[in-house]
Amino acid sequence: MSPARKIMKDGLWTNNPIFVQVLGICSTLAVTNNLRNTLIMVLGVTFATAMGSWTLSLLKDLIPRKVRMIVQVLVLSFYVIIIDILLRAYQPAISKQLGPYVGLIITNCILMGRAEAFAAANKPGASFIDGIANGLGYGWVLVCIAVIREFFGFGSFFGIKFMGEGFTPWTIMVMAPSAFFLVAMALWAANTYKAKAEAKKKGTK
Amino acid sequence: MKLKKESIGYVIVFTFVVCSAFVVLLAAANQITLPRVKANQSYASHYAVLKALDLAGPETSKAEVESTYSSQVKELPEPAPGMAAYGSTIDGAAYVAVKITNPGLWGPITAILAADPKAERIRGLEMLDQQETPGLGGRIGEAWFTDQFKGEKVGSDGKVTVAQGSGKGDPDKENSKVDAITGASRTSDFVQTLVAKALATVKEIGGSL
Repeated sequence: MSPARKIMKDGLWTNNPIFVQVLGICSTLAVTNNLRNTLIMVLGVTFATAMGSWTLSLLKDLIPRKVRMIVQVLVLSFYVIIIDILLRAYQPAISKQLGPYVGLIITNCILMGRAEAFAAANKPGASFIDGIANGLGYGWVLVCIAVIREFFGFGSFFGIKFMGEGFTPWTIMVMAPSAFFLVAMALWAANTYKAKAEAKKKGTK
Repeated sequence: MKLKKESIGYVIVFTFVVCSAFVVLLAAANQITLPRVKANQSYASHYAVLKALDLAGPETSKAEVESTYSSQVKELPEPAPGMAAYGSTIDGAAYVAVKITNPGLWGPITAILAADPKAERIRGLEMLDQQETPGLGGRIGEAWFTDQFKGEKVGSDGKVTVAQGSGKGDPDKENSKVDAITGASRTSDFVQTLVAKALATVKEIGGSL
């Protein structure tokens, strides 16, 4: 497998930020009750992680160890604020809808996690791909959860209602607790599957 | 010469340079986009005023909003610092709209409320800015919630009660009551206070017209 493909596979599956690293759970709880917000959050996180990791990797030989976390936070928040500024100027409707979500990207542990675990020791190009891979790895899990929550919570898909009038929305699905048990179930399913696949691999060797 | 990366001097200079560089970039981006952001904000405010007066809806185009605003809405003197007031005559009836900012759960809520000058019946309510809990209190901006205020009769105490109901919206326009948001009773309380305050201001302005 080529290095780039391996990094992609790591982010999307083997070392998935949600399933394996268990990072970025806070935003999983907050944004997954509707698909549109989830997608924008995913794009924001992917962009900020990729660009942040790339920049930090470029600077890594210059950053003194004592202040590396300060610099990481600085660079990552820089990209988050840039996203906020651009949205406010060019997509005011989305910016208004998202409100505090954009700023919340900086609290996403995936950003710092990847900067610390990958960008600090790898080349800029690889770090960029790693950021994309982790953003997408985080993204597909979130989208799956959002589909379930929006379906049961609002009876809609991307805000388009398709359940009849008789449908009673499950209020719990709109609220944070549903994300807790959906994420937990997803974690359990993914890790069980992973453990089985590994056991099988060992068995055939 | 090899730089001593861990020396105090290097750490201070490095941190200073990096911080300055990124801050300058951010400040520049902010400055460059400022006129656009300002224009967006003034458009959002115009649209919200028209929406509260029931003169515009989601399908109204941007140009229509601006032309209706300049022809139909008269900006009145500020009732208090940070507030704004608007007057409009629709089908022969006068209306007063006020822009009001009041505390919410996480941050201030800014809304526009339109009513008749005596503040007896609400014309409309539109949220302009709020930071309530997304998915819960944040739903005060959604149409099903704000639409409940459209045509709602104001109680004799100058209030419209926001209280728990079916959670689907209260269709009765005469009971001075709208449905609160399930799971967001604090935010609902804040909206009730904001509406009462806005109505008092409308009455004050309406009395002096």
